[in-house]
Amino acid sequence: MGRYLIRRALFLVLVLFIVSLVTFLIFVKLPAADPARRAVGRATTPENVENARRAFGLDKPIYVQYARFAKGLIPWPGLFLNEDVYYSYSNFVPVKEEIFRRLPVTVALAVGASIIWVLIGIPIGIVSAVRRRSIADRAAMVFALFGVSAPVFWLAYLFLYLFWFKLDWAPSSGIPIGVSVLEAVAQGRFIMPWLVLALAFAAFYARMVRGNLIETMGEDYIRTARAKGLSERRVIYRHGLRAALTPVVTMFGLDLAGLLGGVFITETVFNLPGIGQYAVRSIFLNDFPSVMGVTIFGAFFIALGTLLVDVAYAFLDPRVRYT
Amino acid sequence: MRRYLRVLALVAILGLVAAACGGDDAGPGQTGPGVTGETGPTGEIQPGGTLELALLGDVSAAFDPQKEYYSVTWGMYRCCLLRTLLSYTGKPTEEGGSELQPDIATALPEISSDGLTYTFTLKSGIRYAPPFEDVEVTAQDIVRALEREADPDASVNGYSFYYSIIEGFDEFGAGEADSIAGVSTPDDHTLVVELTSPSGYLPHLFSMPATAPIPPDDPSERLGAAEGHTKDYGRFLVATGPYMFAGSENLDFSLPAKDQTPVAGYEPGQSIQFVRNPSYDPATDGLRPAYVDGMNISIGGDNNDLYNKVLAGEVDLVMDGIVPPQVLRQYSTDPTLQQYLHIYFSDAVRYLSFNLAMPPFDDVHVRKAVNLALDKAGMRTLRGGESVGEIAGHIMVDSLENDLLRDYDPYATPNDAGDIEAAKAEMAQSAYDSDGDGVCDDPVCENVLAVTDEADPYPDQAALIQQNLEPLGITLDVKSFERTTMYAKCNDPGSQVPFCLAPGWGKDFPDGYTFADPLFGSAAIFPSCCNYSLVGASPELLQEHGYEVTEVPSVDEEIAAANALTGEARFQGWADLDQLLMEEVVPWVPYLFDNNVDVTSQRIVNYSFDQFAGVQALDHFAIHPDAQ
Repeated sequence: MGRYLIRRALFLVLVLFIVSLVTFLIFVKLPAADPARRAVGRATTPENVENARRAFGLDKPIYVQYARFAKGLIPWPGLFLNEDVYYSYSNFVPVKEEIFRRLPVTVALAVGASIIWVLIGIPIGIVSAVRRRSIADRAAMVFALFGVSAPVFWLAYLFLYLFWFKLDWAPSSGIPIGVSVLEAVAQGRFIMPWLVLALAFAAFYARMVRGNLIETMGEDYIRTARAKGLSERRVIYRHGLRAALTPVVTMFGLDLAGLLGGVFITETVFNLPGIGQYAVRSIFLNDFPSVMGVTIFGAFFIALGTLLVDVAYAFLDPRVRYT
Repeated sequence: MRRYLRVLALVAILGLVAAACGGDDAGPGQTGPGVTGETGPTGEIQPGGTLELALLGDVSAAFDPQKEYYSVTWGMYRCCLLRTLLSYTGKPTEEGGSELQPDIATALPEISSDGLTYTFTLKSGIRYAPPFEDVEVTAQDIVRALEREADPDASVNGYSFYYSIIEGFDEFGAGEADSIAGVSTPDDHTLVVELTSPSGYLPHLFSMPATAPIPPDDPSERLGAAEGHTKDYGRFLVATGPYMFAGSENLDFSLPAKDQTPVAGYEPGQSIQFVRNPSYDPATDGLRPAYVDGMNISIGGDNNDLYNKVLAGEVDLVMDGIVPPQVLRQYSTDPTLQQYLHIYFSDAVRYLSFNLAMPPFDDVHVRKAVNLALDKAGMRTLRGGESVGEIAGHIMVDSLENDLLRDYDPYATPNDAGDIEAAKAEMAQSAYDSDGDGVCDDPVCENVLAVTDEADPYPDQAALIQQNLEPLGITLDVKSFERTTMYAKCNDPGSQVPFCLAPGWGKDFPDGYTFADPLFGSAAIFPSCCNYSLVGASPELLQEHGYEVTEVPSVDEEIAAANALTGEARFQGWADLDQLLMEEVVPWVPYLFDNNVDVTSQRIVNYSFDQFAGVQALDHFAIHPDAQ
């Protein structure tokens, strides 16, 4: 296992470099506005544009520019997302400062939503699998269909308009000035974003659990467990669910890791100052260092999440061993 | 079973629709104290309260005054944070809001007879906000700001090019001099500025936030409090206005710059908080009423959602939003809300721009014909209707010409809907209409490349323009781009774009120079900005970019002549230039003088429009006593 972990850690670093290189090439090669020209005011002079280009390091050869950004990928104090290179072209605020200041909002959103979608999706999937073709099963599948079909942005606007603006059942969007993330959670300001974000995942997880459990319940060892006289509840939860949930655990780790890289749409619509909102703004402003920083940050979490899930898999499934 | 499910689904859908559509009320919020008409927006003004405001997008350069080139930030500087030698009243043009007023200066500057030397006298007793509350503003502090503006690293993204008319400014910025030769301070309260050439707009430059004073700190630090903050002085900004960032008193400039903690009242991308500046003395300032005690500004969000918050009373104003049509309709038609709808000229113009070196627009008759053919009223309707602005009949906004050309429109048509017959009569005089029937019969009129913005409503406007020009025999090949890319293509003569459909332009300060030179001066042609029409382009430049046309009209002399004027003569000079451009050069089809449309919550009992910045004047806002 030790060698496996070292290999995976090195692979993670390789992934980050590949992601950073591709991101860099996208900004350099695809047609888009010159960042220096975009940053200066509308009425400008050639000297102003050249000053901006020099200030941003854009006057250097491409490989030098990339090398400066690549240095910021090394997870070492003073190097990782260093302020010499990783600062916003639009407002000069260090990217690292923005990401870590916004991280609590994204964590609160992602973790809260993940708890909800697990609490909703898995029980629905179990009920649906155990009572196939019943009203409960059909209702669950309608819910699943709606959940995976309804666009997140549409749901978000609908929730805001209905539950806040019309019915006053929920607080409005955003976090008031001076209110911390924990206080905002306590005030219920994350309930609608959690529900909106969780709905699609819950629907998907319900279908996945249903399918896995139906398949598992047809296995020979389940028939053996029943033949031994175990109660149906014990058969389902002790024997059937454990196997059915193994792939769900994998998906959960990946989904949560992906969300920690930024919940773009939900944060934007609900005006939650998280990493996703920062990423959207940076993309629209063609703010390369910010986009690079967010991309690397997101890639890191996904790669780390994959690693943790694979390790957890070995504990869940005794047949899996890594060397 | 299936029928049961269908009924269930239908009930659920109907329930949602009923909840969403039910009721005419604005939302769950209060009905404000002013809504019944007992006290309208001009009712009793009582100082106090905190404004709750919203910004869709953050400021452009984290409040660094030498970098910020954004009207919303300029509005916040003028109203609240920074005083300058000269400033404005924070009112619309018709109430004197475009006229320069002394602020830190005791009066408008004395100007030498040759127009090259300007002398400012500073008031005594104006002090900085904490932590510099014991420091008086002096003339040297203005010089400090100018020196930082000259630094290309500190002023990147800004507008330092305006200050090149000050003798020695560019040399200092290039590191070729130890100081700006044309600036001197005979004493703490006198600033003398010498120019390279007469420029009547010089006083306006000292109303711009880049010249706001920077306090001294360690005597060895030339830039004072800004020393070491080349990138981020805005987050350590020391105020002189009636407000400051919350937490300013905790700024510690005794530490090395890299160890200082930014002010708490500005969290980039998230929030801005202004509180009263305890050092501010209203007796030294006749421009800013500063009624409220503070301002909370949230950053980010969705435009429609924020305006719902205004309706609900949670937000008093969206500072940079676009009022959604349904909200505008509600405010326009509801008698209890009409007083909270505020529409003023923003001093911006929208236009179509010809490339004078590209056929068929190298022919002035074709350009005039297009001016006559365009359905300007239709263009305005596509942008939202009459509330969005006034039909433009000429180039410069009226406030820059003192309304001298208020009723001037050399291409006026009935109901501003275009006049195809008049357009054809003009086209018939063109060399591209060989048979004189008013329809272009030269291949250069077919599939003319036209560049526009991909965002709404420009594609619809492009379709209308195509429709208007077809009877003249001009067909367009419209290409849509993201906005910045569109402007880049319009600006680059190498792109050889004949027709630019979506540009807009607003003043930087209330002087015609901010239209004339950057839009029609030969020095503003690529790689500078923004003379898309190539007015004044030299034969060499045209040849360099592959044009067959060898000569285009120039107005450089007229710009220089008008720029040398002062007072009323200056307004007439710009008006004369405007008429020359419209009647003889015809580089554009101006179609709309933009309005700024704001809606405020029912808490607001006083609203004013800052004509200088083209945004709301927050220092004039007052909150109803019952809502404080």
